[in-house]
Amino acid sequence: MNEILKVEGLVKRYKELIALDHLSISVNEGEIFGLLGPNGSGKSTCINCILSLLEYDKGSIRVFGKEMSPKAYELKSQIGIVPQEVAVYDSLTVYENIDFFCGLYIRDKEERKKLVREAIDFVALNDFVKFRPKKLSGGLKRRLNIACGIVHKPKLIFFDEPTVAVDPQSRNRILEGIGELRDKGATIIYTSHYMEEVEQLCDRIAILDKGNTIAEGTIEELRNMIKKSEIISIEAGGLEEAVLEKVRELKNVYSLDYDGSTLKVEAGSGRHNVIDIVNILQEAGYSLRKIFSEQPTLNDVFLELTGKTLRDE
Amino acid sequence: MFRYFLLKVLRSRNYLFWSMVFPLVIMFCMNMAFGNIYDTENSIDPIRTVLVKESGSFFAEQFAELVKSMADEGAERQLFDLSEADSAEQAKEMLLAHEAMLLFVAGEDELEVFLSDDHSMTSGIVSGTVADSYRTNFRLMTDVYENAERLPEEAVSEIMDNMSKELSYTMQSKGIFSDSPNPYVWYFYSTLVMGMFFNAMTGVNLVSDLKADVSGEAMRLSVSPGGKGKMIVYAFIARLIPSLLISGIHLAVMKLVFKVPLGDDPLRLAAFVLCSDIFAIGFGVICGLVFKGNLVARENKTTGMLMASVFLSGEMISQLPGIIERSAPIINDINPATVMNMALYRLAMYNNDYDFYGNMIKLVAASVVFLVIGTVILRRERYASL
Ligand SMILES: Nc1ncnc2c1ncn2[C@@H]1O[C@H](COP(=O)(O)OP(=O)(O)O)[C@@H](O)[C@H]1O
Ligand SMILES: [Mg+2]
Repeated sequence: MNEILKVEGLVKRYKELIALDHLSISVNEGEIFGLLGPNGSGKSTCINCILSLLEYDKGSIRVFGKEMSPKAYELKSQIGIVPQEVAVYDSLTVYENIDFFCGLYIRDKEERKKLVREAIDFVALNDFVKFRPKKLSGGLKRRLNIACGIVHKPKLIFFDEPTVAVDPQSRNRILEGIGELRDKGATIIYTSHYMEEVEQLCDRIAILDKGNTIAEGTIEELRNMIKKSEIISIEAGGLEEAVLEKVRELKNVYSLDYDGSTLKVEAGSGRHNVIDIVNILQEAGYSLRKIFSEQPTLNDVFLELTGKTLRDE
Repeated sequence: MFRYFLLKVLRSRNYLFWSMVFPLVIMFCMNMAFGNIYDTENSIDPIRTVLVKESGSFFAEQFAELVKSMADEGAERQLFDLSEADSAEQAKEMLLAHEAMLLFVAGEDELEVFLSDDHSMTSGIVSGTVADSYRTNFRLMTDVYENAERLPEEAVSEIMDNMSKELSYTMQSKGIFSDSPNPYVWYFYSTLVMGMFFNAMTGVNLVSDLKADVSGEAMRLSVSPGGKGKMIVYAFIARLIPSLLISGIHLAVMKLVFKVPLGDDPLRLAAFVLCSDIFAIGFGVICGLVFKGNLVARENKTTGMLMASVFLSGEMISQLPGIIERSAPIINDINPATVMNMALYRLAMYNNDYDFYGNMIKLVAASVVFLVIGTVILRRERYASL
């Protein structure tokens, strides 16, 4: 597989604060690579270093197999960026904004016209081409922000938290769009602190905490990194301590919680966890109502690796 | 691409207001104010005036005579429409009731002037002038009388001396740093300069357009494959052209509508306008780079600088540069608005080569320094922080 981006040992300090601490990631061609981490973990800083916008203290960054630098115009021409903050000109209309940013990459007028049209279709802003950004709702503004970043059909695209403060409808539209871009052959780096999004969208993921990648791999690989692999909940009334003890003694079970009506069991990887538990309960003569088995989320992965949850900010 | 740089500037309402509309508004206001004074000679309606004589002294009697002569309907110029009152209190009631605009109270040896709250500008100026000149002349007269008893010839020559001194002082003070340069043209010039100087705001905006740590749009430019050099040139010219157009409009309005003299050397005037506009934009670029924060913060701080500079240059108080020249001339020498004002004033009024070029050299030198520094800093693409 072709490695599009390789970051090794990246260190970035803001005076006292170490924003990136020997961060390494590698991204393959044609995948959506998720950078998942809580606010302030260094996602934007990482992207800005890769784009040669920020000076950094140590490390190497290679894009398309070549050293990235501020003057690497050849590389820059194949990169697109959708920044975290909406970055468009208020005094230009939607069409003019997209055309302007396209013009930074594409000289030919006819080609530009075609690309701008395509970008407008892509983000479904056709009804708003003559609007000034100020008149657009938050979600539409975000879509304009995206259009300006992808209009020149870059091979490598960075999305920095494109769904923050976006209504659910626009959010789905955006996530679908990113999938389409990948299907058309672009490689995408997607940052977010919403694990559901990353789980749903990304092919591979790096989890970031305090400027460091604490885990990298596919969702499967990440789940396998932690011992908890299954969360089973069973609704059953009046379980006795002796029965609970039997469940607890099962080989894969490492945590158990019972509140009088629902039994929650966390178990490590094993094929028959649910069946084993159900057997024990039925043998003891209990009638069971609902049974769930869930896979651990990225939040569980993050929790287990860092000891804190992703959700609280 | 250049088209969009230009569009952005032309659509910036804030900029157009401050550097184009605002100076025009001020010019119109000044025309209403001063135009009025200039016309007073030819046509003023007599001012409704009350005269109260509180004493039978020579001073009071003489003043009453004077005012009456100016209120004579048969006179060539009737200044006052006079009525008399018995007491100052009664007269003040008349002012309050708006039955009169102006009240003179002539006492034993002093003169008081009162104006109603709805008095006209003309009445204010006329009453002040009449009272002042009467006081001065009366002193002169009594001096003559008193001295005449002793040494007539000597006294007369002394008075003549005084008068000629006063006269030569007036002549001298016609210089630009006098307490009152020709206010009519001065206010127009400094308003023009203010408009030009406000182009600094687009200079600040230029920094935000091109410096990735100030705006996301600039960040997009930085990650694009285009070189920064070309963008800087585009962004600069896209600001220079509108600024020159606006200055042209201002000059045309001054010349054609307000009949302000602009000197007889259009070429030098054009050179002056070009230099000043370039200087102003360069000045704004430096302000944009020096001040910290987002665009709005940088703009606000720059506005403060501009206001201070324009104020010190005498936009509101034309005597201010004269006062500064006596106490701290260095401020005049480095205050951009004053330097521009001076270059223009001397160009238009005196055609004084040395002064004109002296100020122009300052402007050009500063512009070059500003633009070189600005270009060097703006060309950088990588920052310590964003
Ligand atoms: N310009 C800056 N100056 C100082 N500290 C900064 C600056 N930008 C970011 N930081 C700090 O660096 C860390 C990483 O920030 P950032 O990359 O924006 O995180 P994320 O994008 O993951 O939310 C944060 O602790 C933030 O406070
Ligand atoms: Mg961020």
